[in-house]
Amino acid sequence: MLIEIRNLTKTFQKGDEIITPLRNVDLDIDEREFVSLMGPSGTGKSTLLNQIAGIDKPTSGTITVNGTEVTRLSRTRLAKWRAANVGYIFQTHNLIPVLTAYENVELPLLLLPFSRAERQRRVQIALEAVELLDRASHYPRQLSGGQEQRVGIARAIVTDPTIVVADEPTGDLDSTTSALILELLQRLNSQLGTTLLMVTHDTDAAMVAGRQLRLDDGRLIADSATRLTEKKDESRSA
Amino acid sequence: MLKFAPYLLKTLWRHRARTMLTVSGSAVALFVFCFVGSVQHGLDSLTSQSESTLIVFQANKFCPATSHLPQDYDQIISKIDGVRDIVPIQVFTNNCRASLDVVVFYGVPAAKVRTIRDFTLVEGSWSEFENSQDAGIVGETVARRRNLKLGTKFSVGDVKVTVAGIFKSSNKSEEDYVYTHLDFLQRTPGMDLVGTVTQHEVILDSSVDPNAIARKIDDRFRGGPVETDTRTKGVFQASSLADLVELIELSHYLGYACVGLMTMLISTTTFMAVQDRIKEHAVLQTLGFSGYLVFGLVLAESVLISVGGGVVGTGLAMLTLAGSGLSVGAEAVTIAFTPSVKLAMASLTGSLAVGIAAGLFPSIAAAQSNIVDGLRQA
Repeated sequence: MLIEIRNLTKTFQKGDEIITPLRNVDLDIDEREFVSLMGPSGTGKSTLLNQIAGIDKPTSGTITVNGTEVTRLSRTRLAKWRAANVGYIFQTHNLIPVLTAYENVELPLLLLPFSRAERQRRVQIALEAVELLDRASHYPRQLSGGQEQRVGIARAIVTDPTIVVADEPTGDLDSTTSALILELLQRLNSQLGTTLLMVTHDTDAAMVAGRQLRLDDGRLIADSATRLTEKKDESRSA
Repeated sequence: MLKFAPYLLKTLWRHRARTMLTVSGSAVALFVFCFVGSVQHGLDSLTSQSESTLIVFQANKFCPATSHLPQDYDQIISKIDGVRDIVPIQVFTNNCRASLDVVVFYGVPAAKVRTIRDFTLVEGSWSEFENSQDAGIVGETVARRRNLKLGTKFSVGDVKVTVAGIFKSSNKSEEDYVYTHLDFLQRTPGMDLVGTVTQHEVILDSSVDPNAIARKIDDRFRGGPVETDTRTKGVFQASSLADLVELIELSHYLGYACVGLMTMLISTTTFMAVQDRIKEHAVLQTLGFSGYLVFGLVLAESVLISVGGGVVGTGLAMLTLAGSGLSVGAEAVTIAFTPSVKLAMASLTGSLAVGIAAGLFPSIAAAQSNIVDGLRQA
């Protein structure tokens, strides 16, 4: 099992109110799986994604990725772990505006012990994979929304991470471009074997993934692979 | 860190107007700091001069024009134990009050100039100076300020001198003076000073107590035809410049105030840059940049702006100081605005320290920001 999530709970205080976006979530994800995570707004989809990506810490519970219990890592170790193991695709691309497409894709590689030549090789492969090698010297402002998102995808896969997480990657795009991006993600999963976890509102987009999860009120309520851990636990206890 | 240089430089260039304005502000602050520092440096080099040289002046007189000591006092003083040499000096100045354009003539026995001063002639010759009665050797600073060339005849008041040489000295304030023959200056029309001098410069053996010798000299002439007031050269010069010293001490704080303002300016700019890029820093941290690395990047921005301003401001100040030969003087003692490598290094080190101090809090704020909150920023 690549990702094992056990009893994951996240609470935080907003004014006088205590909010619990995740309640006792248990989940397993295999290597090379393409998983989509759906649910209404505010049900904890992005919160779960952020916990798995190691950019947020749970209140309780554990997340183990490829044998590493990431919930126990310090802030600095977690940053190192993210650099080597996580590729993150944002809804709003979030490219660095002063850097070219090439430099944006190269950025995560600067954190890893790669030579200049190796960095160059990897950036070229990543840009080729998203069919944007000819736009390498372009700045984000010179690219369309779809092209920006493809650069964002190249940046996410360039380090060959253990998992790629995508937070509504088509949320800012028109339907034609969304279809192209989803096709690209599917290709990355099927051809390169990238493990993908995608948060989406769009049912059609979710169906591109091999496995669909549904969250509601911080609980995992459905799993297309019928591996919903809560249900398993219930049947086990019965 | 060098791997991130393109990102750093492009980030600074992104808000180039803001960056350039901050660099300019830092440059102005360090320009003023260097100017104030050069005056302080000039004053320090005057007042810390060798303790083994005494100046014998007429008691209760302040301006050189009013001090008249018998020249033959040198015979008596030279017999005191511990006195190695004595030089009678006639001083003439165009202005006894504090001024930015003081011309000071020192009339000294011609043969003594070379032995009591550490001068290097950059133009002219010693023999020409020693053999010509109205000859003078001119400090490089005066020559540049007054556009004096070798062979030029020039006059200040009734003193008319021909430039026989231009010298430079390890003591920059000396380069503000003109040295002439003693008897020439004593015979200046209208002065009738033959037989008297403004002061005696007494060079002591290194082993003696200068204050004890000074007391001995003053005791010897107490109740005599002209009473004396003897002090070490540093103390004498400091007391001549007493009013200016207070002003310089005050301007010292002006220099520190400039550095303080510069710190605030850079800190504000860096804080603004951090606030503008909360989301960008969150993205970087999502990609795997550690808090320490984000801290380092923001601090490097602050240091680059500060040191950039430091290089420009210090460079301009050094060029201006070296080219202008500015000085301020009172009672025939001048303080040269002295540029030096030490001052430049102090200024550049200061700009580095300011960059670090100014960037510290914005860097900590950027490094400790919450990633998820940052990503939610518009």
